Amino acid sequence: MRRSNQFQTSLSSKVAVALSGLGLAGFVSFHMLGNLQVFEGPAALNGYAAFLREMPIVLWSARLGLLTVAVAHIALGIRLALQNRRARPVAYAVREYRVASMASRTMALTGSLLLLFIVFHILHLTVGLGDPSVHDQLDERGHRDVYGKVIQAFHNPFYVALYCAGQLVLGMHLSHAVSGSLQTLGVEHAALIRLFRAAGPAVALFVVMGNLAIIFAVFLGLVRP
Amino acid sequence: MKLTLKIWRQQGPHDNGRLVSYETDEVSPDMSFLEMLDGVNQRLILKGEEPVAFEHDCREGICGSCSLVINGVPHGPERGMAACQLYMRRFSAGDVITIEPWRARAFPIIKDLVVDRSALDRLMQAGGYISINTGGAVDGNVLLIGKEQAETAMDAASCIGCGACVAACKNASATLFVAAKVSHLGTLPQGKPERARRVAAMMEAMDREGFGACGNQYECEAVCPKRISTRFIAMLNREYLRAGFVASGSPAEPDSSQAGPD
Ligand code: HEM
Ligand code: SF4
Ligand code: FES
Repeated sequence: MRRSNQFQTSLSSKVAVALSGLGLAGFVSFHMLGNLQVFEGPAALNGYAAFLREMPIVLWSARLGLLTVAVAHIALGIRLALQNRRARPVAYAVREYRVASMASRTMALTGSLLLLFIVFHILHLTVGLGDPSVHDQLDERGHRDVYGKVIQAFHNPFYVALYCAGQLVLGMHLSHAVSGSLQTLGVEHAALIRLFRAAGPAVALFVVMGNLAIIFAVFLGLVRP
Repeated sequence: MKLTLKIWRQQGPHDNGRLVSYETDEVSPDMSFLEMLDGVNQRLILKGEEPVAFEHDCREGICGSCSLVINGVPHGPERGMAACQLYMRRFSAGDVITIEPWRARAFPIIKDLVVDRSALDRLMQAGGYISINTGGAVDGNVLLIGKEQAETAMDAASCIGCGACVAACKNASATLFVAAKVSHLGTLPQGKPERARRVAAMMEAMDREGFGACGNQYECEAVCPKRISTRFIAMLNREYLRAGFVASGSPAEPDSSQAGPD
């Protein structure tokens, strides 16, 4: 047996998926916290966006790093999911699950939907496709008007519905993913097992609630242009 | 009690197989599930039909050969029990009971409800052992083992190799089985010298045999007749990560015995 091949197992892929997934989970958490600045008004959010853009090297390294992590996560995740599917060629006629959550059974589906959502989200709010006029507007300080863009988007019930669906899918993926990664990385202790199993749903709830708060605050007119 | 059984019938490995319905009304609540099947087979034989092939040996929950998925759950509705320990009083008259074999690419069907589980043996051959010179038995108390360690090892060692964990897993993964072996051997001083090599070899063999990867859903633990804990899977993962570091650090045979992962 060649030693170099010994660690090319599905478990190694799982560890990589878990590590990259936790990285992405960290990103979505901080992304949500950053977005909460909507509640501090246009100056705060646009200032924050401008602050990020003033450091192009940092911004682009972060984007590149994030992209690498995401590509690794998606590629290895899909490969694992396909491998796993091959492991049971004939399905059971009757199947009953005792403990597996809906979220845990739909990781590949929620992951794929999440990918679609992320692509749409970047095109919509980062690139500003479909609404280039808004994209180029500047606020009174000469910053790009991200705030105005967010307000405009979430006045539209169509975008509200789409983003809510995205949050639902994100919440489901995260709720299984974070607890699962802890187990995959061997982070486990008899006394803390409940805490670790609850970590996924807790992180999911945290991120989704934060994002939904923004969407609905705008939609219901609590945050105004 | 009158029951309808839907039993998976398959002539051989290359047959497609199908569920066949059987009505039976000579079932007493005091019968075990396997005795009920014996009765069905007896009547099939009298009618000149082929009896249903199913595996069994000890019929007391220790050998791990009974392997029936009953109404979608490996080993059936009881918790922490093998199918042979299931009694018909768990069912009521008029029930429809579907009986299928373990389903996994790594467990090809031999006939009806009997599958070939030698893939699990090959996992054991890959690393589920300790290498020691044979000879006279070692004196008792030469090797002191702490109570905690001994109990952890015993909990893991209670795995009977039935393969229900594979049958229950969405990904037909044998991770709980491997975790039980790796934790059992890796916790004891006799197993420590080979622990890095063992975990890598067994995980590699698991892929090679066509089992899937763990999905952290814990269905395995929920059907395991010995209630092997999925905490052992976390222990396996730690052993694997540790082995990765050990292997990358030294080309020589790694490892000396030291405190366990817990
Ligand atoms: C913000 C985005 C995402 C986050 C935070 C995230 C997080 C995670 C984490 C932490 C895991 C590890 C679960 C475990 O080890 O059991 C995971 C698993 C997985 N992810 Fe993601 N993910 C994201 C996006 C995606 C996307 C876009 C895809 C696919 C197109 C995807 C596909 C998967 C799959 C298939 C798994 C399961 C792998 C397995 O079978 O073990 N994820 N995700
Ligand atoms: S871990 Fe449990 S279910 Fe799996 S083979 Fe061992 S005894 Fe059977
Ligand atoms: S027949 Fe031995 S465990 Fe069921």
